[in-house]
Amino acid sequence: MKNTALTLLFIVILCGGCASTGVSSQNAVIHAKNQAAPALVHIRPVKEVFQRGRRREVLITGSGFIISPDGYVVTNEHVAGRSSLVRCVLGDKTEVSAVVVGTDTFTDIAVLKLDTDRTDLPFVTMGESVGLEAGQTVMALGSPHGLARSVSMGIVSVTDRYLAGNNGQSISPYNNWIQTDAAINPGNSGGPLVNLRGEVIGINTRRLSSADNVGFAIPIDVAKRVVDEIIETGKVTRSTTGLKFQEMTRKTDDPAQRGVVISDVDPLSPAFQARIRPGDILTAVNGIPTHARFVEDLTTVRNLVADVPVGSEVTLSIRRGTQAADIAMKTAEKSRFVGEESEFEAWGCSLSELSPDVIRRAQLTSRNGVVTSGVRPGGLAANAGLKPGDIILRIDDSEIQNLSSFKEIFDGLIEDGTPLVLLTVKNGALSRFVLLKQEPLAEIQGEN
Amino acid sequence: MLSVLILTTFAAFYTEDEAPADSPAVETISTYNPDGLSKEGIQAAYDTVSPAVCVVAYTLEVTNASGEASRRNRSALGLVVAEDGLVMTHGHLLLENRKPINIKVTIGEGDAQKEYEGALLAKPDDINVCFIRIKDLDGLKLPYATFDSVDTLELGDPIMSIGILSQALDYARSVQTRRVGAILEEPRTAYAVDQTFAFGFVGGPVFSADGRAIGVIGFDLSTEEGGEIYTRSGYPLIFQASLFQPHIDTPPGEEEEKTPEDDAFMGVFTQPLTDDLARYWGVEETGGIVVSTVLPGSPAARAGLRMGDLLKDFNGNPITAKLDQEVAKFTRMVRESPLDTPLPFTMIRDGETTEETITLTVRPKSRRDANEYEDERLGLTVREVTLDVRITLNLAEDVQGVIVRRVQSGSAANQAQLRPGMVILRVGDEAIANLEEFEAISHKLAEEKPAEITIFCRVGATTAFFRMQPRWDD
Repeated sequence: MKNTALTLLFIVILCGGCASTGVSSQNAVIHAKNQAAPALVHIRPVKEVFQRGRRREVLITGSGFIISPDGYVVTNEHVAGRSSLVRCVLGDKTEVSAVVVGTDTFTDIAVLKLDTDRTDLPFVTMGESVGLEAGQTVMALGSPHGLARSVSMGIVSVTDRYLAGNNGQSISPYNNWIQTDAAINPGNSGGPLVNLRGEVIGINTRRLSSADNVGFAIPIDVAKRVVDEIIETGKVTRSTTGLKFQEMTRKTDDPAQRGVVISDVDPLSPAFQARIRPGDILTAVNGIPTHARFVEDLTTVRNLVADVPVGSEVTLSIRRGTQAADIAMKTAEKSRFVGEESEFEAWGCSLSELSPDVIRRAQLTSRNGVVTSGVRPGGLAANAGLKPGDIILRIDDSEIQNLSSFKEIFDGLIEDGTPLVLLTVKNGALSRFVLLKQEPLAEIQGEN
Repeated sequence: MLSVLILTTFAAFYTEDEAPADSPAVETISTYNPDGLSKEGIQAAYDTVSPAVCVVAYTLEVTNASGEASRRNRSALGLVVAEDGLVMTHGHLLLENRKPINIKVTIGEGDAQKEYEGALLAKPDDINVCFIRIKDLDGLKLPYATFDSVDTLELGDPIMSIGILSQALDYARSVQTRRVGAILEEPRTAYAVDQTFAFGFVGGPVFSADGRAIGVIGFDLSTEEGGEIYTRSGYPLIFQASLFQPHIDTPPGEEEEKTPEDDAFMGVFTQPLTDDLARYWGVEETGGIVVSTVLPGSPAARAGLRMGDLLKDFNGNPITAKLDQEVAKFTRMVRESPLDTPLPFTMIRDGETTEETITLTVRPKSRRDANEYEDERLGLTVREVTLDVRITLNLAEDVQGVIVRRVQSGSAANQAQLRPGMVILRVGDEAIANLEEFEAISHKLAEEKPAEITIFCRVGATTAFFRMQPRWDD
């Protein structure tokens, strides 16, 4: 009897609460939306894509938000990166062109500058992601499936989701993610995730395609630093020592074991030269203790190294078995995640800069070369047997340093009309020669 | 018009216990018919050879890309090729990801049929067929097929084959006639048949128009011949007898199953010296082969060969490879060369011709011959890292370990997120150099029963740690 009374009381209070929260939360939602919506941008970039050795342009749709009265816009790199033209539709439905100020592929952030003289543009209030809690109400603003000015609502599901790709490596080594159940669809990318005060706390970027309402946003604290650096320098520079890390639980469940597991050392890196090896435990960076018991703790450790100015000395405290040592080394610049790509129309192929992953897989002893990203069926390169994935190390007797040195040699060969060009290529463990016949088709037929 | 055929004999016959073991081969079927296979000829061929046609039933264990093995029952045609119970069948019985177990061979039909257990022999490298040894014959002599070596079929020549119908039709022996539809020249002469055959005919004996057995129906060239294994090209080939007769004469031995043959190994990958390449390099367009890759630590590396060297001749034989498919000839020439003795070759480097020598070694084991070890407690099957796998995965010479082949669903290995294709480099603090070392440590772990085991692996191009928590109590 007593229990029943209590239950009834509870229901009454809950309902009363519902009624009062209903009105206030409704107002809060509308208020928050009104704070952010005027600064929302519908973005339509014309992006460069390479398919089967050809460069094509495709129009896509994404979202973004204005962060300053003179028109800096934040969006995703996968929205506005590698685009030849960016058109933006603002909150008042006016259309403005924008230029890409800079991008960061690691965090998937791009900064645009609207081509306008206005200094009175509405802009968002940046919030903080550090104090977020799961369960907190959030809203996603953007253009799902191209439908501009859309708002969806949900809660923060997890504040520090670690996302690993198929290869087990983090797909975003320098940030964890805010997971939300606010509906995020293709076209939402780059749009703001806002709290009930209307402050931006994340950039909507990813979703699980096979799930319902499992979306991911870049925490705004990470974004703010990246955006500032892009506005200041046009790019984001990070240091690396060539180490890959894993959480301590990969080796042991013993909570007393502190540090970070070094799982991999790039053979072309300062750490390798300093004789650091997989299995060593990193206990401090420049005297700052490092500890990653769980996978979510790894981004903090990576950022400790990344934030050191490139080329400056960093001291890593290493434990190997019972021995410990402080090892100093100069950091190298972290290469871009995705290399630049170009089409070479006369040969019917597209080539990319070597990424660290390609260099590693091919076991190259230097960073020189370019990788074939696509070949056009029927083109010179295809006929000569060049295949996607082939790493071109030499043209005739010239070593290829990078994409621009390739372009230079290529232009010379095209101009001279050199009939036979020999490429030295490597694919996996195997090398081979690829001979391109540059003779015009008519002449070949004439010979026969 | 039929070309002239080399006449030897074909026979398939029963030999009962009381029959002398050295029964002579039976007479040639004299039904030569220039216009094709006569009704009588077909009947005679059928009567003589069908007793040697048998049914091979087996359970095929197929391992998918994620290492999970599934089993299904299969049957195929077998052909007894020696009276002491040597059976030849199609080559797809044993492939990289498929292995037959529980092999049964049924000889005879109807009431006379009898089932025997069979053991798979090592698969030949140079032809896509498999051999099975029938066990427990107790001295019984089986009817068997013999073949004529004929390499001179012509386009349009009629042929006939004997196959088996489906299980629902009690594997009844059946004949079908076809014509030679294409003659392929490289890497060896091969004959394609003008229409496809049902699966029950693959491995079945092929008869020329004069009723002589000249080969068997096969699919796909062997990888050694540059064939794509299991292409399902849909076009059956005639594997002429000269290709498999040496394997009948010297069956790939049961004991030798896991050891590499005495094939010679040079350690180079080559590409043809096309006329264009010869022009580019300013060398005569008279042939040769281009060294494209020299494997580290190989005889070629020791002999100082480098990428770009042109080989003009080898051990007294001129080399001409202008087309991709001609490279296989050189490969075969190397394989069949003598071991451990300096062999001369002529090489052009930077325009200069020099005479050199090279001492070949035994060809390293391939993944097909690789040994596996299963640790049932950990739910993990690993395989030794063979040279071909090393090349496929581009593993540096100093990478030693064993490769994860299968991970049992729900096992400790599965929970640790180990996946097929990973190379186990260390278990705990101990480096694993080979399968024996893994096996030893596996036994040691089973005794010590540690609560957790740290495994260090190469994953793709990088390395990572994995922690296993075995359930020792189960």
